[in-house]
Amino acid sequence: MNPTEIFYWSLAATAAGLVLTGVWGVLTRKNILRIALAFTLADTGVNLLLVWSGFIPGRSAPIMDPTVTSVVDPLPQALVLTSIVIGVAVAALFVVVGVLAARKSGSADVRRMKELRW
Amino acid sequence: MTASLLAAVACVTGLMMIVAGIASLLVKKLISAIIIVGFVSLSASVLFFLMHAPDVAITEASIGAAASTVIFLWGRARIGGEE
Amino acid sequence: MIRSITGMIIVLALAAAVFSVIPYNGVTEELHGAGSYYAENGVADTGSINLVTSVVVAYRGLDTLGEVVVLFSASTAVVLILSLVPMGGKPTAPSQIVQTTARILPGAITLFGIYIVTHGHLSPGGGFPGGAVVASAFLLVLLGSRSLPGAAGMLTAVESLAGLAFGLLGFWGVYVMGQFLNSRVLPGGSPGQLISAGIIPLVSLAIGAKVASELSGVFASYRSKGETVEPD
Repeated sequence: MNPTEIFYWSLAATAAGLVLTGVWGVLTRKNILRIALAFTLADTGVNLLLVWSGFIPGRSAPIMDPTVTSVVDPLPQALVLTSIVIGVAVAALFVVVGVLAARKSGSADVRRMKELRW
Repeated sequence: MTASLLAAVACVTGLMMIVAGIASLLVKKLISAIIIVGFVSLSASVLFFLMHAPDVAITEASIGAAASTVIFLWGRARIGGEE
Repeated sequence: MIRSITGMIIVLALAAAVFSVIPYNGVTEELHGAGSYYAENGVADTGSINLVTSVVVAYRGLDTLGEVVVLFSASTAVVLILSLVPMGGKPTAPSQIVQTTARILPGAITLFGIYIVTHGHLSPGGGFPGGAVVASAFLLVLLGSRSLPGAAGMLTAVESLAGLAFGLLGFWGVYVMGQFLNSRVLPGGSPGQLISAGIIPLVSLAIGAKVASELSGVFASYRSKGETVEPD
């Protein structure tokens, strides 16, 4: 494995690790704000994975200066731009509704929020 | 940046991000968890820069690390951090 | 404990399912499909040398319109909930350092944000990060002030007008050329100049104004109405 391949696959491993950490956090944590934090971690991991899918080692950023000859794929970067903004909008709504539910049921523990059950 | 330096930086940063991500879900105080998630967002911005995506790096740094942290800090101020 | 182990097993199963279908063919070497088209014809079609901005605003402008709608609905929902359900809480008075900083810095930060928005087609940036930087300047003003600045009505007005401007610019493309958000309705100019790239700088301005006013509205609604802070 030459250094370029180590660089390439370590980025993908980081992104996948963040997604798995976020999913584990959503499944096992009890405080509603910690669930929101884990969701944000998973969202960051997914964005990293999307940008990684368009990355080609050795090429440069997609700003076509006169000195630039070959660029990486600009399409996943455009999609991730949208995805980051949507991620923060969802996090804001998640936190506000979580605070509302915690105030209504008296504690921030999801096991106490009885209205969430069937 | 030589290829081996890039590989070393990416490996170290990636390992740090995963350890920090797991730690943020296990620490006792909520304020520490929020700050660690903000740090993971900032490191993600560095990784975006290493992948030659400057637009995404600026956006992640300004929105993910700043606006998102403020949102979580407000939520913690209304509920109270667990001890 | 049981929940932790079950969660771990589910995550490991998910990891095995995902990692078993990834093609480990080696490092990618060439651009394919739409990416190669954008890399070759992006500057000639739209006139903007930032390919990501040309994709976001011109080639995939409809996706950006959808994303603007998502951001609008989320921020409106947050502001609506926070104005109907009082969340209480007692803010503390800002310290001397914060007050002084909040008098000096927001001007420079706003200027930097406007620079990022208007040079979206020349250097990395565009409407979204520029709008977020301007919103963080507004947040600094909020943090250093003792009472709520009464700008909520103007923020809503700016946000609505910016969204309307985005739609009207798109329909201008339909009127002139038969295509929604075609960037050639204004002259393309020479790539690399500030006044170039057709309609892209105007759309970036609209997006930047919309994102800035939305995030600022969300930050302003975190302070309840009529709440003042006693000086210490």
